Amino acid sequence: MTYLKELFATRELLYNLTMREVKGQYRRTVLGQLWSLLNPIATMLVYTVVFSFIFRARPHVGDPSGLDIYPLWLMCGLLPWLYFSRVVNGGLNSMVSNSGLIKKVYFPRMHLPFSVTASVGFTWLIEMGVLVLALQIFGGWPIWWIPVALLVMVLLAFFAVGVAMMLAITNVHFRDTQHFTTIVLQMWMYLTPIIYPLSLVENAARDIGDWVLTVYRLNPMERFVEVFRNLLYDNRWPELGDTLFIVAVSGIVFTLGFWVFSRNERRLAELL
Amino acid sequence: MSADTAAVVVDHVSKKFKLYRERNQTLKSAVMRGRKTVAEEFWAVNDVSFEVPEGHTFGLIGRNGSGKSTLLKTLARIYYPDAGSITLRGKAASLLEVGSGFHPELSGRENVYLNASILGLKRREVDARFDEIVEFSGVEKFIDQPVKNYSSGMYVRLGFSVAVHTNPDILVVDEVLAVGDGAFKEKSRQKFLEFTRDGKTVILVSHSLPQIREMCDQVAWLDKGTLREVGDAETVTEHYEKALVDEKE
Repeated sequence: MTYLKELFATRELLYNLTMREVKGQYRRTVLGQLWSLLNPIATMLVYTVVFSFIFRARPHVGDPSGLDIYPLWLMCGLLPWLYFSRVVNGGLNSMVSNSGLIKKVYFPRMHLPFSVTASVGFTWLIEMGVLVLALQIFGGWPIWWIPVALLVMVLLAFFAVGVAMMLAITNVHFRDTQHFTTIVLQMWMYLTPIIYPLSLVENAARDIGDWVLTVYRLNPMERFVEVFRNLLYDNRWPELGDTLFIVAVSGIVFTLGFWVFSRNERRLAELL
Repeated sequence: MSADTAAVVVDHVSKKFKLYRERNQTLKSAVMRGRKTVAEEFWAVNDVSFEVPEGHTFGLIGRNGSGKSTLLKTLARIYYPDAGSITLRGKAASLLEVGSGFHPELSGRENVYLNASILGLKRREVDARFDEIVEFSGVEKFIDQPVKNYSSGMYVRLGFSVAVHTNPDILVVDEVLAVGDGAFKEKSRQKFLEFTRDGKTVILVSHSLPQIREMCDQVAWLDKGTLREVGDAETVTEHYEKALVDEKE
């Protein structure tokens, strides 16, 4: 409880650390913050060419929005995924990359992974804003769903930072963690229906057995992607089961991350 | 010295480190090692107790590896003691390395705000002291330039200036008096004197015995992690010097 109080009392530090990331990131670039948009757009183009034109993947038609545009459908899943993976990567490295600070000054160290979550979140917010605009222009009606989508974004932030906090501690002990995580994230992305629709997995499950789908859907990111698509692409309420699943997972993972981090925080300076 | 005038109470503090024979932080080496621990324990600070009276400058002396810096880091809450406790009365600030946390691409102004908030200052408080901080550092002309363009002296002066203006009750200093040119050194010395005049406490580590004698009222002498002597600055530094000479012979 005292730790929470201290975190709250030093919230200005969190803001300043976040702004350090946000401002520092695109200094001395001509395009500045625009780079944060160019990156996902480039990824979108690559996946669209490969999966839409070459493999002829068909997204489901938005119900009730009626949208049938692969790149937009893709982005509704890809942007949350990119956010998640950037927070996990940045958060797990935040101890090692700020070791100079940790070894010289006392402050609640949890602000470091939090500031990564917030600064990456700032970029994500811009990306999602552009996506909503595009969806609106191409005939969807995501505007009404923005408040709910924002709530789900907050949930994803809690989930991501929870994972990042656990890995950050592990990474201080074993630097293998960062390399291992890169591989896991890569595989995890393909195990999540981001570039292909869930119906492909459902078809496969019909041939092999229902357990495939059950196991597949244990992946919290699958649920998050599903919920974001329901809200923004389909423009409808997500399934109650999915909603409860992501609320529970975010709560549990964040609490676990918080617990692991706060228990190990005191020894960080000597371990780094 | 009674307890109510002590700014810092160091009570039987010990700090140990684990020395690994292989300094290889990989999963493979952990698995290969198995359950056996190959770590040796090393007590960097061993059962040290003293009190620092309020409103005085207190020095820590000792040879390299005597545990001064470890003790200082423990005072600054960067390390946690494995045994014993440290009680600080009032807000403590540490000056172990100035300018840590500066972002090279950000301007001096932005870094002042960032660094001050790392040291626990609120935005309002920085606003109020901003001019004073900049004036003390003497980098007025370059305050809106990115700090990566600063000379190392300017960098350190700005960092130092932020730290001394955080207005702590207890200031923990690690040999940073060696920063800047002669004029700046004199300025920082004056600042420390001003501190103690205002009833604040300064704890510093230094290898320069003349400096210690000049600035400190009391001194603790550490030797291989244990406390050899604590007391009046003149007496303790004399004993320390004598021990150094004896050892050479």
